[in-house]
Amino acid sequence: MTSRGTPSRFLRSVLQNGVGRYVCQLKRISIIFSKKAQSSLGARDFIEEGVVDYANKNPGTVVYVSPQPCRVPKIVAEYLNGNVREETITSKTSQQISELLTKLTNQSGLEIIRIRKPIHTDSPSIQGLWHPFTNRPPSIGPIRPQKPNSQ
Amino acid sequence: MLSWTKDVEQWATFARSWFLIDARMQPPGKIATMCSIRLQGKHKPIYHALSDCGDHVVVINSKHIAFSGNKWEQKVYSSHTGYPGGFKQVTAAQLHHKDPKAIVRLAVYGMLPRNLHRRTMMQRLHIFPEDELPYDIQANLTEELPQPREIPRKLSEYTQEEIDAFPRLWTPYVEAHQNIL
Repeated sequence: MTSRGTPSRFLRSVLQNGVGRYVCQLKRISIIFSKKAQSSLGARDFIEEGVVDYANKNPGTVVYVSPQPCRVPKIVAEYLNGNVREETITSKTSQQISELLTKLTNQSGLEIIRIRKPIHTDSPSIQGLWHPFTNRPPSIGPIRPQKPNSQ
Repeated sequence: MLSWTKDVEQWATFARSWFLIDARMQPPGKIATMCSIRLQGKHKPIYHALSDCGDHVVVINSKHIAFSGNKWEQKVYSSHTGYPGGFKQVTAAQLHHKDPKAIVRLAVYGMLPRNLHRRTMMQRLHIFPEDELPYDIQANLTEELPQPREIPRKLSEYTQEEIDAFPRLWTPYVEAHQNIL
């Protein structure tokens, strides 16, 4: 499949976040894990070691820890623009979960799809669009001789 | 919100210019280089091969072009009529005598890319043997381009002071023995 058929968007940020001050776009995070399952071992380790530190470091983010009987532990991240991302943390170590949480915290919540252009500007041009008389010396009459030896 | 200003900007960007080139005493190849760049639109920062942004070029005085060397006699223009024995070869002087526009036209045609736009770009080239232009073309001109070569002055165009001031390496025999002869 060619990349043209895939969903795409243009490069942008949320309300120019970070130009004046930075607002963490991660609103809420739920760590869903099992108390008994072997696949949640790393998640349980993380809840013992790192989750309190994480919550202290990110006062703008609500952290839920919900033990449920489940085979696949996961992290559900909700962003300020309403996007929800689910990440499975099956048989991941505490270190790996910590890195994943850091990544989710730093993201803007915009959908991660093909970006059409790697550049973006809010002010496209100051001098205006080019036209045939741009940077031409002014002259009266239809013919404008550009003679270098006449000066 | 003035939405029409964007339209006008777009029209101005893609407007076609009309360039004037004076071919008097100029080599046809240099003229053709300038023409082919403008006809393709390659002098524009907005150039794109698919966007048909070529300009019009008006060449005047094509009768008074100047070849260097002995090209008038030695340069050969070949063509074939398609019939058996229809291979024609004429020298530059003969071709120029028959059609004073032909040498410039063939030089430009040879410098344009070999694609489907070639004939379209040739239609935007206007060649005139003398320096008189019809009014509808004269009214369109936007810019006159500088000549690629400086026209050399003839001896008759120098003043007597300039001729006398010219440095000499030797005295001609006739002048040295004028009083004797």
